[in-house]
Amino acid sequence: MNRTVVTLVGKDHVGIIATVCNFFAENNINILDIKQTTVQEYINMILVVDTTGYSGSFDSLAEGLDAVGKKVGCIIKAQHEEIFDMMHRI
Amino acid sequence: MVELKEVFETYEMVSHENLDVRTITMGISLLDCIDPDLDRLCRKIYDKITTLAADLVQVGDEIGLEYGVPVINKRVSVTPIAIVGGAACRIPGDFVKIAKTLDEAAKKIGVNFIGGYSALVQKGMTTADRNLIESIPQALACTERVCSSISLGSTRTGINMDAVRLMGDIVVKTAEATKDADSIGCAKLVVFCNPPDDNPFMAGAFHGVTEADCVINVGVSGPGVVKTALSKVRGESFEVMCETIKKTAFKVTRVGQLFAKEASKRLGVPFGIVDLSLAPTPAVGDSIADIIHEMGMEYAGAPGTTAALAILNDQVKKGGVMASSYVGGLSGAFIPVTEDSAMAEAAEIGALTLEKLEAMTCVCSVGLDMIAIPGDVPATTIAGIIADEMAIGMVNQKTTAVRVIPVIGKGVGDRAQFGGLLGDATIMPVNRYGCADFVNRGGRIPAPIHSFKN
Repeated sequence: MNRTVVTLVGKDHVGIIATVCNFFAENNINILDIKQTTVQEYINMILVVDTTGYSGSFDSLAEGLDAVGKKVGCIIKAQHEEIFDMMHRI
Repeated sequence: MVELKEVFETYEMVSHENLDVRTITMGISLLDCIDPDLDRLCRKIYDKITTLAADLVQVGDEIGLEYGVPVINKRVSVTPIAIVGGAACRIPGDFVKIAKTLDEAAKKIGVNFIGGYSALVQKGMTTADRNLIESIPQALACTERVCSSISLGSTRTGINMDAVRLMGDIVVKTAEATKDADSIGCAKLVVFCNPPDDNPFMAGAFHGVTEADCVINVGVSGPGVVKTALSKVRGESFEVMCETIKKTAFKVTRVGQLFAKEASKRLGVPFGIVDLSLAPTPAVGDSIADIIHEMGMEYAGAPGTTAALAILNDQVKKGGVMASSYVGGLSGAFIPVTEDSAMAEAAEIGALTLEKLEAMTCVCSVGLDMIAIPGDVPATTIAGIIADEMAIGMVNQKTTAVRVIPVIGKGVGDRAQFGGLLGDATIMPVNRYGCADFVNRGGRIPAPIHSFKN
């Protein structure tokens, strides 16, 4: 399993999750977990995904998510999960 | 499973608080390149660096992208060139040829600095050491990316005052040789007492002779992260403040540890150390002086600053040491004036003086760093500043350094501009009373009594 954490920050509106999830489905990326909060009109979301079935490089995944982000007006970033384990767990 | 709060804490650190990995530095031993023929030596040096570090920049960028934390600099440090070039170089000009080779190699692999144009003369100078030191003004003027460092003293050996005096002249000559660019050559020249062999930060990085053939050392950063964490505990006790710095330093250093292990794996080169220094940049919010302000000082340099810096340095070490399997280098808080916009501002309004900075170097990780001084300061006075700083390092068994920039043609209050990470600052006044009779005595200062531990 190749776990990646995807972070989404932006102004909430209809269709953000649908667009992001479609991108993952089209690229054979399995969503393991979704968490989100909305504060006033802003959405903070994290998705933990498994990129084992994804054929491209990390670079192309980041670019793809960037394009999706532009489409829905949010900032979307992907990071290997390990960095959070390292920083926040002893 | 990661928590929303943790993910967004990291997100904030990177996007708003300038969290980054400051440098991945590959240390390369050039001892096996030694050759009595200068051309052959240069070819071997070029080939070894461009082979071993061929993928350094690419790997650094890849790791940065995948973990979402930028790696600002990729750099190389090499064995002190006075040792490597001793057999081949007869005159200072021969060493300049090696400097040019290092510069070409750095450009070829795309690193922004290469360190190790160095000599270790804390007890005495060989002919090669002297030639290298005398070549520094020309070497730094005709290269772009080469950094030079000279070790002038240590707790074990005392201080080589002949070399200190010589370096006073060399700093001035280097400033003269690069006067068209605000004497920027001096920004690439640092003198040390007790230098570490595994420092990944420039301009003082060199690959010590006791090191392996090739290692990866990583320097972290994160003054902005510490400052933001402290802003949440305003008015709380020292205990709370110290715990906050410690926890933050732990998180920042963990990033460095992860990156060091990953770079080491991908490059097939052993992991050396993580240097857990808090290194500022001229970017707003990426400042040690801002941390000092957040701790309660009106400006960095106000009474209380030395105590605040002592706390910061100690807590950074305490948090960082647990976060990494091997800690080394300088590991503490840097206080470069031009590279820290709030520090430069404190100096400009007169809150921060050279004398206060000297006191601060007793408790921080390095020394008088990136300080622009008037271009007409005599070489003997610069040698006196160096001697003071070396004495602090020698007696306190710590690393100290001097990187002052006499800006030729400019005086107190004028602006010196270096650009990029080196920043810019107002030129600071220097005590006008002389010390020529002291620094001209010649010889060595004996090692202090507490160095005799055997």
